[in-house]
Amino acid sequence: MMLSVHDLHVAYGGIRALRGVSLEVDSGEIVTIIGANGAGKSTLLNTITGFLKPGKGEVVFKGQRLGRQPARIVKLGICHVPEGRLVFANLTVHDNLLLGAYLRHDRRQILADLEKVYGIFPRLRERMKQMAGTLSGGEQQMLAMGRALMTNGELVLMDEPSLGLAPLLVKTVFDIIREIRGLGKTILLVEQNAHMALEVADRAYVLEQGNILKTGRASDIAQDPAVRAAYLGTKSVAGGR
Amino acid sequence: MNQFLQQLINGLSIGSIYALMAVGYSLVYSIMNFSNFAHGSVIMLGAYFGFFALTLAGLPFALAFFVAALSAAGVAVLLERLAYKPLRDRHAPFLYFIITAMGASIFIDNSVIATIGPTPKTFPSELLPSFLQSGAIRIGHVDVGRIDLAMFAITVVCLVALVLFIDFTRLGKAIQATAYNMKASALMGINPGFVIILVFAIGGALAGVAGVLYGMKYQVFPQMSAITLKSFIAAVFGGLGSLPGAMLGSLLLALIETFVSGYLSTQYRDLFSFIILIAMLVIRPSGIMGKTAEDKA
Repeated sequence: MMLSVHDLHVAYGGIRALRGVSLEVDSGEIVTIIGANGAGKSTLLNTITGFLKPGKGEVVFKGQRLGRQPARIVKLGICHVPEGRLVFANLTVHDNLLLGAYLRHDRRQILADLEKVYGIFPRLRERMKQMAGTLSGGEQQMLAMGRALMTNGELVLMDEPSLGLAPLLVKTVFDIIREIRGLGKTILLVEQNAHMALEVADRAYVLEQGNILKTGRASDIAQDPAVRAAYLGTKSVAGGR
Repeated sequence: MNQFLQQLINGLSIGSIYALMAVGYSLVYSIMNFSNFAHGSVIMLGAYFGFFALTLAGLPFALAFFVAALSAAGVAVLLERLAYKPLRDRHAPFLYFIITAMGASIFIDNSVIATIGPTPKTFPSELLPSFLQSGAIRIGHVDVGRIDLAMFAITVVCLVALVLFIDFTRLGKAIQATAYNMKASALMGINPGFVIILVFAIGGALAGVAGVLYGMKYQVFPQMSAITLKSFIAAVFGGLGSLPGAMLGSLLLALIETFVSGYLSTQYRDLFSFIILIAMLVIRPSGIMGKTAEDKA
């Protein structure tokens, strides 16, 4: 297993956000975690990358138990495309991408990866000298993904990459996720857009109120009546959930 | 016209020293979002380090400068480790940082009074480079003090080096990224603790240089740390957290001060400084070039 999460309990601000979550991601897979707003999806990713301290449980990546130092976890090979993109608005697109390679010293390989990223995101090449803050939401999402790829991590965590994007762009983002897998990356994708996420993923976990409710092949989960009712836009439960 | 030029030159000289101090406030603020009020004490210690390196250790002038910068950087980093890091580790509210900074400042200033003593020390002119020993240079009808000239030149060199470092090096970009968003920079593998040490070291080194320059122009004394509050006003005026803002604010504040001193009265000088501070806080709290809310979003 590339990543295993064992019985993770995380509480913050008096809320028990995760209540014993276990999951596994194997090399080369796209695994998605679907669930409603507030189910604990972002908490899970932020705990994996060391921003939150679990009260109980552990995260193991390639046989190593992960601690609480995000910078070190990046070095081990996990990159995280955070919710809300968090691009460096005060720096150019090009500088944002180079910062992704902050820990790397293989100059030639960095330049090759930069070309690769500009190949996947031609829009970023057009805007390489622009300040990242001037980009549209979709472009910022692409920049956040490109920046994460520049860390050269094997495991890519993506937090709500389609959030707030127009439908056409959502489709583009999911096409890109497939393309990133084609580069040999393993992907753990957190999404509210369960429909698209289940289409792109190999396996899925359903997270509800800090617990894993269901797990299985993404195509099976997509057929599950309860999941269909709760997450795949059946009219009776439209709205918040 | 001559008086105008004379005041302009005085203003630029004072402004350059303010700028050297103000960037230290701004750098720390940009990363940690609090005003390090112990910065003035680091400047004061820097002046003493330079003074003793020159007089007691008998080091050559340039080396004494270097020692002052290095020791002041060391003090600033030590201050961060001992006073601020424990607060950061406990996620203390920012008010605690400001109170701690003030406490550290009072502690350092009084330690100096208790050990070295409150009497001002004057840089012995025979130990300064020969260029600085003779009187002012007369250009037309305007006198340009040699120390003022040196202050301006050294400041320009330091600030240009700082800007080049911040804008064109990997570490400089890491500082900018961390200033923008600490979480996102950590996701790039940038260690926030390291960046914090870096900004304290840079701010401290510049504080050391500023302290020696200030001590050369006037004297070296424990209350220097309070006088540097002016440079904090300049940093707020220009926009806390912005380096160009700190530099611009410093020059403008110093020019306003010297013109008020020259044309009205020295007594009104500080009155104007604080009026500027209050007016800026009321009209545009982010300062001339500071980050506004939408820039940060």
